[in-house]
Amino acid sequence: MPSFTHLHAATAFSAHYGVSWPNELAQAAAADGATALACTDRDGLYGTIKHLKACSEAGIDPIVGVDLAVLEPAPDTRGSQRTRSPGLGAAPRLQEGGRVVVLAHGSPAGYKALCRLVSAAHSHNPAGVTIEQLATYAVEPSTLEPVLTILIGPDSDVGRAMEGRQYLLPRRRLARWHQLMPTGTLMAEIVSHRSTPGTALSTQHAVRMLRLANELYIPAILTNAVRYVSEDGAATADVLDSARELSTLTALAGPAPKLQPTAQGWLKSAAQMEQLGREIMRDAGCGTADLAQLLANTEKLADRCRMDPVKDMGWKSPTVPEASVLGIAGSPDAELRQRCDAGITARYPNPTGAKARDVHQRLEMELATITDLGFSAYFLTVAEVSTMIHDMGVRGAARGSGASSLVNYLLGISQVDPLRHDLIFERFLSRDRSTLPDIDIDVESAQRHAVYHRIFERFGEERVTLMSMQNGYRARGAVRDAGLALGMDEEEIDTIAKQLWRFSARSFREALAEKPELREFAQRVEASHWGDGTGTPQQLDLLVDITERLDRLPRHISMHPCGVILGNATLLDRTPVQPSGLGLPMSQFDKHDMDPMGMLKLDVLGVRMQSAMAYALREVIRIHPTKEEVVAAGRHPLDATGTGPDYIAPDGTINLDAVPLDDEPTYQLIRSTHTLGCFQIESPGQRELIGKMAPREFNDLIIDISLFRPGPMKSNMVKPYLENRAGFAPEVYPHPLLKPALAETHGVTVFHEQVLRTFHVMTDCGLARADEFRRALGNEAQEPAVEAYFRRHALANGFPPGVVDTVWDTLKAFGSFGFCKAHGAAFAVPTYQSAWLKTHHPEAFLAGLWEHDPGMYPRRLLVAEARRLGIPILGLDINASAGEYRVERTDDGVLGIRMSLAGVYGLSGAELKRIVANQPYDSLADLRTRARVSRPIMKRLAQLGAFDALHRSVKAASGSTASRADLVAHLVGQPARSPSARHQPLEGQLALPLGDLELSALRPLLPEPSLHEKVRTELDLLALDVSGHLMGSYQPLLDSLGVTTADRLLGLRNNSEVLVAGVRVATQTPPMRGGRRVVFISIDDGTGCVDATFFHEAQEQSGPLLFGTRMLLIRGLTRRTGPRGISLQALQAWDLARTETLPLPAPRETVPGAVPDWVQF
Amino acid sequence: MGIFSASVEVELSAEGLPLRLAWQGGSYELGADPVRWYERRSWWEKELRAPLGHGPGLVDHEIWRVQARLDGKGELYTFDLSRHVGSGRWRMIRIHDALRTSEEPEEREELAEPEEPCEEDWGA
Repeated sequence: MPSFTHLHAATAFSAHYGVSWPNELAQAAAADGATALACTDRDGLYGTIKHLKACSEAGIDPIVGVDLAVLEPAPDTRGSQRTRSPGLGAAPRLQEGGRVVVLAHGSPAGYKALCRLVSAAHSHNPAGVTIEQLATYAVEPSTLEPVLTILIGPDSDVGRAMEGRQYLLPRRRLARWHQLMPTGTLMAEIVSHRSTPGTALSTQHAVRMLRLANELYIPAILTNAVRYVSEDGAATADVLDSARELSTLTALAGPAPKLQPTAQGWLKSAAQMEQLGREIMRDAGCGTADLAQLLANTEKLADRCRMDPVKDMGWKSPTVPEASVLGIAGSPDAELRQRCDAGITARYPNPTGAKARDVHQRLEMELATITDLGFSAYFLTVAEVSTMIHDMGVRGAARGSGASSLVNYLLGISQVDPLRHDLIFERFLSRDRSTLPDIDIDVESAQRHAVYHRIFERFGEERVTLMSMQNGYRARGAVRDAGLALGMDEEEIDTIAKQLWRFSARSFREALAEKPELREFAQRVEASHWGDGTGTPQQLDLLVDITERLDRLPRHISMHPCGVILGNATLLDRTPVQPSGLGLPMSQFDKHDMDPMGMLKLDVLGVRMQSAMAYALREVIRIHPTKEEVVAAGRHPLDATGTGPDYIAPDGTINLDAVPLDDEPTYQLIRSTHTLGCFQIESPGQRELIGKMAPREFNDLIIDISLFRPGPMKSNMVKPYLENRAGFAPEVYPHPLLKPALAETHGVTVFHEQVLRTFHVMTDCGLARADEFRRALGNEAQEPAVEAYFRRHALANGFPPGVVDTVWDTLKAFGSFGFCKAHGAAFAVPTYQSAWLKTHHPEAFLAGLWEHDPGMYPRRLLVAEARRLGIPILGLDINASAGEYRVERTDDGVLGIRMSLAGVYGLSGAELKRIVANQPYDSLADLRTRARVSRPIMKRLAQLGAFDALHRSVKAASGSTASRADLVAHLVGQPARSPSARHQPLEGQLALPLGDLELSALRPLLPEPSLHEKVRTELDLLALDVSGHLMGSYQPLLDSLGVTTADRLLGLRNNSEVLVAGVRVATQTPPMRGGRRVVFISIDDGTGCVDATFFHEAQEQSGPLLFGTRMLLIRGLTRRTGPRGISLQALQAWDLARTETLPLPAPRETVPGAVPDWVQF
Repeated sequence: MGIFSASVEVELSAEGLPLRLAWQGGSYELGADPVRWYERRSWWEKELRAPLGHGPGLVDHEIWRVQARLDGKGELYTFDLSRHVGSGRWRMIRIHDALRTSEEPEEREELAEPEEPCEEDWGA
């Protein structure tokens, strides 16, 4: 049986179209004896690189292509000749006339033409190419040799014209293609999905296409227009069609069907394809010779298109910007050395003998590796970007394993000294790994786009593109689209979707059996088996099945949150690009495609905390414009001369990166666990860990951040570490020789670096090899070899068998989980910096947090934190509020934070700008006239009290006693139109100083709104409860329940049973030891935060309340977590808003049916 | 044209093409080449489950249009038969020419979707 090559196959990366993953397709093709397989995703090369890898693993040749829309001028729907003004040169509107498959010939020119063609397609909207473009790209410009083959198939304009027995139209269209396309670039694609005779994808249509091709002497090939690897995928394809068309399956199956006509589009075997070909030939009245010709043509084209990923596509060959772009005349190696030498002088001003020797040895070692790998230009590129960011005045910091490199430290890319923190270069880069290393740079989130634009300018558009990311279906999206397909009630689907919490769609049915919050839904699914539901009961069961089918399938690509690809001038020959939301081009490749394609990816990550800190620093200097004032306000240490530290400049500028990492007040704040808002250490779990661990120095922070990871948490590394640290348990070292590596964590293996050192100490394997071993841990295929090597060499080195056993168990258990210390160190820097700012300049820091909202908690929780810190929250004021949250000195001389106008719901950016630009205002009329504020916004501002100050001054002068409610009522009654131009003051005319007649004339009718009403309004319009806490109005209810407030919990004994109540501020389900889910819910009651832990039982007790409810009452037991830490082990939770369900003490006297007077919301 | 859904036995050739039908007590011999195609089903309305790995036969079914004579003699009748892809079972779904014999089948016009009542056991 000769093999058959499928030349038209979509992978799952054809979003909302393809069903099967590249490796499934490649494996199936190889299993059937195929020697090659094409990947022709729709509108892009989204799955191409995965296809290359899948083919290589399956041992077959990849063929690459694309399924593209062909655009033609849309019929002029405007109908008027007048609007067509040729002089303006407006391009005609284009629309999709059909789709064709384009295959790249197996050559560098073929792949380049394909990339450029796909990019060109995305310069149109909708994406697609014109026939003329296809003709241009199909041949190599210099030689005019064909480099692409275009397949005219059933979905082309030719195929589409075959509906309804037309004869001339398809013929005319194919003839046009024949005429326009260069010789040797056109073929007819014969496809039958065996649909009803005479309809699209029927054998009859295939026959007509074949005859037409023969008539025009266009060679024909056979494909199966594959969407799924096996028959089973057809149902999934139906659901994807529904999701793409945003329509129910029933509607799509309707009179003008948009679903696949049959389920025949799978990767059929060679035998099945031959049988299909025979059927077509029989119907065409052709013989076996014609069938042989069709199949031979197919294989001939396949041979022409076999790609050699290495030679034709640049597989695994790293490419970096040309030296000339970096401004280097000589060799990059020499340049790198020179810059590192300069860095030594800057970073280590006066090295002593041993230190100097260490630095030089380390540098030589790193440079040798870097130059051997040919990566000097890469480091210079990253340094260039880093310098560029710094020169823009944007805060930036390297993160990730890049901090392990001295070269990065010397070049200014990283701010962490790898020698001081014992970081291992081999964890970052070694000769055993030839892939480009990852260096990630965190920048201020608010400046990220500016940084991107600057990178494009600096390196040139032909060398830079943004990286994309694939967004796959997760449970919530999958259940929504599954519900849509089935035509289920949107609200019902929404209710179900909201209950789905962090599990993959594939385990939906399993989750139904296990998760308490899904219990109700599970019962309905169960009931539906018995048909006692309403409507179409079986839908719920199908819903579960379809949701599972959608799991992980890509939905769309979007701009990756941080990846920027840098290359040389040939970058756009190697990746197709399309527009991103940002207006900058975005590659169709994602992070998994970078290494295979040798692409240099730089992660420039926007970090809101960096923006918040930059903002805080600006606020500090705005309020305290001299060094003396900053030093006094921040209680910074004075030196002998009494001038304050060097990191504060004379104008008050704080160089945050120069602040020493040993400030004791900062560690006091961290140990108090009042770390809300601090980078990385504000979550409930982290606050608990910090309470137990009580960090004293920077290295403690590194350890803390490294411990709070899924791996260490899961494998229970935390407890022994804390016990050893506290001295409750003696430190244990498996062998004295391991003590140097493990001492900093009291004998517990936490860091990758420690795993590397352990391997090296016991087997002399070298750190580079040790890192390879570490990567193999947890890999079933590779781990046994590592174990054998480890045992053999450790025993040979004289380690006792017992020690070898113990250490191996540790490595096996922790090696694959542990955290890279360099990551921890890089993270710990902003953690420390944010805590430092909170300690010394809390008002500016909180203002920065409000402005950039970096944390995990809603802004309103920070109001509570400000209250706790005694920082006044200053309400909205039309004259005092700006477009930002600003620090303001109150009349009492205290620093408070003024609410921002930007937070007002519905206030447009333009209105905001006008208000701020024209401040101050002396009357409402003044505000209307100069800022042109709309009536609804006037009302909202009044409701939020933004006119209270203005109103007060008028009242003081006029003796009016009108309330805020009167003012709101007055504004509601105002005519909608603004005063006519006649009444507006002329330029240069001064308004008469009459005061605000409008305000002074208000008649006092209504009482001032109650505090509770004000809070309600603030929550509605600002999403912040400024005047009082949201919980305030629940006070009578809470009193009758006997609720304990957060600030009093710390005074209670361990294991006391209490009731707490508050607003949910965070929900987390961190991975836990033993695999059983634990839910952390944090509530805020106005006096602080209570962190409640729900174990299995409590989850069962609380059911659907766990994830949906806002105001919670929780019964639980106090658990002391450390000297300053306490949390709650929850027993049960209630919805505070559903008073009838609450465990109220029996009332003394009850009027049946009466609503208690504390029910206010 | 009548619409039916009744079980029918089909004898196949070595290549898998229908040769003979046993239906309503009579034996029909094919008098011309059969035509085969596939038609989709509204599986989301008819099935209770559609789990991954359900296999073929969920989304479409095979339709054969055969022309046959009772006992190989006389008039050619045109029948549409459906074959379930999974189970291989055959059903008579349409008769294009009025077939007036003594054992005239009970017409079931009321069934807009004739396959429906029979499909649940297919899916099982």
